[in-house]
Amino acid sequence: MINGALYVREMKKSIKLIVILLAVITMYVAIIISMYEPKMAKLLDDYVKMMPQLMASVGMTGGATSLLGFMCSYLYGFILIVFPMIFCIIRANGLVAKYIDNSSMVSLLCAPVKRFTVAFTQMAVLMSGIVILIVYTTILEIICAQYFFPGELDIAKLLVLNTGLLGLELFIGAICFFASCIFSEVKYSIALGAGLPTLMFVIQMLANVGDKAKNAKYFTFFTLYDSTGIIENEAGALIGTIVLFAGAIVLYTASVTAFCKRDICL
Amino acid sequence: MTKNNNISTIEIKSLTRDYGNGRGVFDVSFNVKKGEVFGFLGPNGAGKTTTIRHLMGFLKAQSGECRIGGLDCWSSSAKIQNILGYVPGEISFFDDMTGEAYLRFVKNYRGIKDTERKDELLEYFELDTRGKIKKMSKGTKQKLGLVAAMMHDPEILIFDEPTSGLDPLMQSRFIDLVAKEKERGKTILLSSHMFEEVERTCDRIGIIREGRLVALDFVEDLRKRHVNTYTVTLGSAKEAEAFAKDFRGEVSGCNVTVSAKQSLEEIFMNYYGGTND
Repeated sequence: MINGALYVREMKKSIKLIVILLAVITMYVAIIISMYEPKMAKLLDDYVKMMPQLMASVGMTGGATSLLGFMCSYLYGFILIVFPMIFCIIRANGLVAKYIDNSSMVSLLCAPVKRFTVAFTQMAVLMSGIVILIVYTTILEIICAQYFFPGELDIAKLLVLNTGLLGLELFIGAICFFASCIFSEVKYSIALGAGLPTLMFVIQMLANVGDKAKNAKYFTFFTLYDSTGIIENEAGALIGTIVLFAGAIVLYTASVTAFCKRDICL
Repeated sequence: MTKNNNISTIEIKSLTRDYGNGRGVFDVSFNVKKGEVFGFLGPNGAGKTTTIRHLMGFLKAQSGECRIGGLDCWSSSAKIQNILGYVPGEISFFDDMTGEAYLRFVKNYRGIKDTERKDELLEYFELDTRGKIKKMSKGTKQKLGLVAAMMHDPEILIFDEPTSGLDPLMQSRFIDLVAKEKERGKTILLSSHMFEEVERTCDRIGIIREGRLVALDFVEDLRKRHVNTYTVTLGSAKEAEAFAKDFRGEVSGCNVTVSAKQSLEEIFMNYYGGTND
């Protein structure tokens, strides 16, 4: 199912990007969590009062009463969604479409390795990167929380919250990977793979602002990931997570199947 | 369908792929027998590469079929690759790797255990694999492609315009290699747009034009038909030698025999008479 040599090569290519993203995530997570003290939290909440729409667009609504609620508001609306999304967009495109576009896919198909194995390996590389990002973030959050505010963090709920995030990012990765598998040219692969998630995210930001734009939330899959709903055990939020995972499975299956059946002009 | 007594290694039967506007390949059929070197000749855009892409399993035939070693080129493409080596005309590798790293990758990716053949080939081509592929010259890349395609010592070799862009020295080295592989009993399909190249290496030639196979013949017969030979008598043996050198003729005393090779276009003209548009 997985070709070891290809997996190792691609993971090496992922590593640089992963390290950069982890560095950025580490900085944000550490800073935001350390700000959960009454004085600093008040400062952030003041920002929210000052520019409510701008802050709301990136999910920052203020007035959180628990550490996890505070994290939901200031980390899970923008930072933790966008950085893994950047990874998905860049890597998914580089794993298949780029190789077809620049013909180096020849090297992969001129070998006794099934197309299915090639596609499955590339998919595994993408998923591995996403899992590394989310698992690292989870551990980092626990360490930071325990360091700054021992005993404040509801770890069980954090795990559920990040499982949901994993579902969301796997789903975004699946969209990018699907685009990468069906197009022969990078420009189309990027147009769909980067364009669709970005557009959806912009719609989500609009919907977050509320009021008249509120109905926009029905036009974006980001609505399926409701971080506040998850920590409050809302059934809708849990169903959303399940839908994301199911959607990811469907899209990955479709991607691999499309790659196996398509004509590849090299 | 019975495969008894079938000694053809590569079989193409009524292969058709219509890209529209008269482009593509139409009803192409030919076989390459075991141990044979087959020249696949045609101008650019005639359908050579399209045909080869079907053999490689990159494209699915719209109608007709391709088989290699009795296996269907589309559904068994991975299996066929065990006995097949392919060198595309325009090679592109993973540019970020060094030549050495790339060959190591191919070895692991294909699951090749034995590196003896690889070392032999590296020596034969005097290839320096240390630099980044991105910085390599076209000739060096081509050599790397040949080593990568042949390091598992395949039974069947497919070369798609292998010498385009190579200097004459490398070209003749390549032709020597084809001869050597033929001696070792390999089956070879060589596509080219140069008659001279296939003439020197191949047993049989198929000519494709505008997607249709227009001639399928032994190279000897084609040569007889399309190569005109003249014998020129010169004043002295010295002059004859100089003449032979300049015109690549064969000397015997004061007589020099020279052949006028026709270009591919001219050969086509021969096949079509005046109907060539």
